[in-house]
Amino acid sequence: MTNHWIDFKNADVILVMGANPASNHPISMKWVMRAKEQRGAKLIVVDPRFTQTASKADLYAPMRSGTDIAFLGGMIKYILDNNLYFKDYVVNYTNASFLVNPDFKGPGELNGLFSGYDEKARKYDKKTWGYQMGEDGIPKKDPTLKSPNCAFQLLKKQYSRYTLDKVSSITGTPKDKLEAVYKLYGSTGKPNKAGTELYAMGWTQHTVGTQNIRAMAIIQLLLGNIGIAGGGINALRGESNVQGSTDQGLLFHLLPGYNATPSAALKDLNAYIEKFTPKTKDPKSVNWLSNRAKYITSYLKAIYGTAATKENDFGYEWLPKTDEGMNASWLMLFDKMFKGQFEGFFAWGQNPACSSANANKTRQALGKLKWLVNVNLFDNETASFWKGPGMNPKDIQTEVFMLPCASSIEKEGSITNSSRLAQWRYKAIEPLGQSKPDAEIMNELFLKVRELYKKEGGKFPEPIMNLAWNYGKKVDIHKVAKEINGYYLEDVYDNKATPPKLLGKKGELCATFVHLQPDGTTSCGNWLFSQSYTQKEGKVINMMARRGKTDPTGLGLFPEWAWCWPVNRKIIYNRASVDMNGNPWDPKRPLLKWDAVKEDPASKKPGTWVGDVPDGPAPPMAKDTGKYPFIMMAEGKGALYGPGLADGPFPEHYEALECPLEESLMSKQRINPTIKIFGGKEDAFYSCDMRYPYVASTYRVTEHWQTGVMSRHTPWLLEMQPQQFVEMSLELASEKGIKGGDRIKVKSGRGEISAVAVVTSRFKPFRIGGQTVHQVGMPWCFGWQYPNDPKAGDSANLLTPTVGDPNTMIPEYKAFMVNVEKI
Amino acid sequence: MATTTKRKALLISSELCIGCRGCQTACKNWNQLPGQKTTNTGTMQNPPDISATTYNIIRFSEVPSQANAVRWLFVSRMCMHCDDAGCMKICSAPGALYKTEQGAVAFNKDKCTGCKLCVAACPFDVPRYDAQNKIGKCDLCSGRIAEGLSPACAKTCPTGAIKFGDRADLIASAKKSGYGKVYGETDLGGLGAIYAFRDAPRIYGMNESPAIPESVIFWHNVLKPLAIIGLGGVVAGALIHYAAIGPHKDEEVK
Amino acid sequence: MGEMVRKASPEEIINHWILAISCLLLIITGYAFLFKLTQIGAVFGGFNGMRVVHNWAGVVFTVSLFATLFNYLHESLTFDADDWTWIKMGGGYLSRSAKKAPPMGKLNTGQKFYYLAVMAAGIAIAASGFGIWLVSGSRMITLVSHLVHNLAFILFVVAVPAHAYMGTLANPGTFRIMVYGTVPIEFARKKYPKWMKEIGKL
Repeated sequence: MTNHWIDFKNADVILVMGANPASNHPISMKWVMRAKEQRGAKLIVVDPRFTQTASKADLYAPMRSGTDIAFLGGMIKYILDNNLYFKDYVVNYTNASFLVNPDFKGPGELNGLFSGYDEKARKYDKKTWGYQMGEDGIPKKDPTLKSPNCAFQLLKKQYSRYTLDKVSSITGTPKDKLEAVYKLYGSTGKPNKAGTELYAMGWTQHTVGTQNIRAMAIIQLLLGNIGIAGGGINALRGESNVQGSTDQGLLFHLLPGYNATPSAALKDLNAYIEKFTPKTKDPKSVNWLSNRAKYITSYLKAIYGTAATKENDFGYEWLPKTDEGMNASWLMLFDKMFKGQFEGFFAWGQNPACSSANANKTRQALGKLKWLVNVNLFDNETASFWKGPGMNPKDIQTEVFMLPCASSIEKEGSITNSSRLAQWRYKAIEPLGQSKPDAEIMNELFLKVRELYKKEGGKFPEPIMNLAWNYGKKVDIHKVAKEINGYYLEDVYDNKATPPKLLGKKGELCATFVHLQPDGTTSCGNWLFSQSYTQKEGKVINMMARRGKTDPTGLGLFPEWAWCWPVNRKIIYNRASVDMNGNPWDPKRPLLKWDAVKEDPASKKPGTWVGDVPDGPAPPMAKDTGKYPFIMMAEGKGALYGPGLADGPFPEHYEALECPLEESLMSKQRINPTIKIFGGKEDAFYSCDMRYPYVASTYRVTEHWQTGVMSRHTPWLLEMQPQQFVEMSLELASEKGIKGGDRIKVKSGRGEISAVAVVTSRFKPFRIGGQTVHQVGMPWCFGWQYPNDPKAGDSANLLTPTVGDPNTMIPEYKAFMVNVEKI
Repeated sequence: MATTTKRKALLISSELCIGCRGCQTACKNWNQLPGQKTTNTGTMQNPPDISATTYNIIRFSEVPSQANAVRWLFVSRMCMHCDDAGCMKICSAPGALYKTEQGAVAFNKDKCTGCKLCVAACPFDVPRYDAQNKIGKCDLCSGRIAEGLSPACAKTCPTGAIKFGDRADLIASAKKSGYGKVYGETDLGGLGAIYAFRDAPRIYGMNESPAIPESVIFWHNVLKPLAIIGLGGVVAGALIHYAAIGPHKDEEVK
Repeated sequence: MGEMVRKASPEEIINHWILAISCLLLIITGYAFLFKLTQIGAVFGGFNGMRVVHNWAGVVFTVSLFATLFNYLHESLTFDADDWTWIKMGGGYLSRSAKKAPPMGKLNTGQKFYYLAVMAAGIAIAASGFGIWLVSGSRMITLVSHLVHNLAFILFVVAVPAHAYMGTLANPGTFRIMVYGTVPIEFARKKYPKWMKEIGKL
């Protein structure tokens, strides 16, 4: 999230699209309802289904699954056409004025493609997407926003095609609803209005997932809603600690702190730093990531300790690397596993036999392994895949091991929620039976592996032998947390000050990532978490364990409750909440304010920010030393034009891989041209196919957690949602002769499940390009194993397709085609 | 320990309810009630009704709407904790149902004789019997409120759709929030579970004129006194007869 | 004592005692339920125990009541002109002096009415009692049963003490029938001339 959970209460308009917080993040609705109750805020919900959240909406608009970009593109057009955008903000804080390479062409000109498309490689050559650079090495700008090559005009051009009629015919949203949503949300473009957007997997789980979010980011920048209280674009994370897991590098392409995973082509640390350090010549740009060398070096020092020296490139060579261009995402791994290219697999805290898109393929893939280790609270469909439906145990050679692990209440540690808030939690009870905390299991596993290496040797022993792994025989989790925070390995000085000022004493915990060094004198497991477990005047403080309840701004920042990254900044890009002189755009919601008189605690000079922790301590932009607020962007500006993504600098509407239309109503390019097409028989997909005529979407229910491994075993939850169900409209049900409570069969090109029909007015058929399109929806929390009742149903992911977003490879769980039949 | 003799209540605001059913689970958790074996019957509402092992459910209903295809309403159904409670009126077992200091209608399974009269006398169809034929229903977490805590449902509710507090304060706050009428403000001497609705309570499935059955009132007001007067009367009559007239005397038979 | 006449058979005596005791038990526990008399409940180890006693005493009472049908129903349904006279003079109970009562059979008019009333109320109280006890799921049945049970109860609590008074203080010498089943022949000739005539002992 750019903002945080409590901040929803500060919004004037809340747009929920791609999420259903009332079901899946109930506690967040506390703040949504508070905004409604106390500020008279308006809640807009856009969803194919009238959800629990929609039931609380002031304005609900139905929309066919997978057409968010059309919907949002229409909103961009509406905002631009009606001058609802926040001009000062757009001109000063975004790249609207940047001039783009004149050779750049958009989908309007190229039949749905951007310039530079390579059809064979299904990739763009982004050469034409760059900015026009001035002689000073800074992108050329046109502050009048009139130049046809400026980002603003290109944006206008791109979305001029997204007329109400066109959008309505694609999305199926009635025109009056579209207009009502655009008008209401567009009303937050005024300086004293704040609009926030809440999304979740309804946006990410599409072949255009990243661009869905980009489209909203553009809207929020146009309306001046980024960086302000009550604004932002807020990912409601699907698991309590999924933010923490991505922060700590759980994804294949990232090391902790969002440092990229090196590829084999990057031979040494310098090459890595060179590639991943963005550059700018603009003196007003902070370009925070220019500090990359400090973060990666301190990271290497943290993991290889004393073995990491300047001479050996701090052990860079020992880091695991991907092959150049290799994508090691989920779908790719399981594709390889399916092809027999893996020997073993640790299924750690997951249940891919139910959670994986195209679960049949996944289950088959597990059978090609030699061994499988299931680390979980319970046996699940993954560990027991060999005795699942359609499996013949005799044919399966996979040896399965079960390592029972402790639940969250049986161990101590931090957990990082969507607000980037790392909260320390304590152990309530000892782990039951033979179960152990994950860290213990990992510790034992590693120590054993190292022992074997020591005894028997092996290929490439250095990463194992040199790893700094000193958490004790029984893991002291505080040691891990401190290592993540980082240490001063020497006395570290600020050499820019005269005389050099001591930043930290050798052996002490780092105070902030600002102190990290590129020369190996600091260690830090994750620069973003530097300050989380720190030392002040010699005293060690676990910031994550703080429980202060003061709220000085009244905006719900609660700066003394636990600790959030970065450096306890509650709202990212918060310097965009003030004007050039440092005064809040909205004096009634003063997130930050420049106080020219008050002494800055660091520099001891007059002039400091009051409020949230400012995003970069630079003074207001109007001052000589002022800096742009978007410090994570090389240019320092919010990106209306975003040339970094695989599928274009602007979001463009493409249909889902499986869709009900022969041709897209937007352009000749029906699907996202850059997605990877899996060609296997098991990966079959069908668009506009009589056999699979209905759009389907999967989702979660409040009562079950992910694939339901934890919740299905909880009788209180199971009794509320005991069986797989499929929701459908009265119209479709009557067409198919189905009544509520009937048992039905749902079939896609990849599998089929049985379910109970829930016939409801909450689904309505859509009118798409003059034809009627039905949509159905179903949860994916069930599995064949428990409850041991064939009528409880199996995973809805037996139906979903093997395809992902080209940027993230997140599978398209939210839009695919099925048929439903009464059994 | 903050026990006051002020009457406590739950204020249920359906407009704030998001149907998450945290209250339903929290209730089971606190009261340690077992999960039931259920099936999906084509609705989210499950278990279908309250029972001796489910004291509180969220009722889901879809009603027609002007703005959208439908409105989806959620409302908590539980014991209403009537001031003039039909169940308590008819109950024949002392201590089986009792009023707590805070105004909750609580129960004691050990004292319950399983006669089920309370089922018939309740205007809201609340009391249920378990497998041992003992009453089970919401008791407003009287154990918790006696210790100054709020009931589990109110404690869990993320949006404040179930609020716990002094009854008078809750009514005042609902009125201040613009609710013209509070359901249960005066019915049955005033309910302990009061509801703030913007629409007719009927669309939420509420009984709009709840009352204790007339036969129970007749029994309570007429028959019960008559049972004393009758016995007293006949005993007194016999004594008077004996004193005034004396034993029967028969003529000699010829 | 002189010659005795057997008015009640040993079976009748036993049944009447069963009926009387169960009825008394039911009335006492009934009052305890009605007014939540915990002291009475305590005698039965609490209201749960009392409920068991009440329910099963009800069963005994019902069986016993039906058993009386063989003995008294026929006679109770047989009325003649003497009964009318008996009613008009209140059976002689309303005067201090001896009155010439019409000759009665084994049961006098009052006893016949008493029996019929108790029988009707007994059926009602038993049926409604079982309705409360055994039928669940119907609010209507429970409420009607509850009402009927209580109405019949009031009849019982009026009629039964009156019956006891009549059988003891109001008619000295009658109570022995309940114990021995016999009365002196002279007593019988006075009280039940028609019956005595029937059996040829007048």
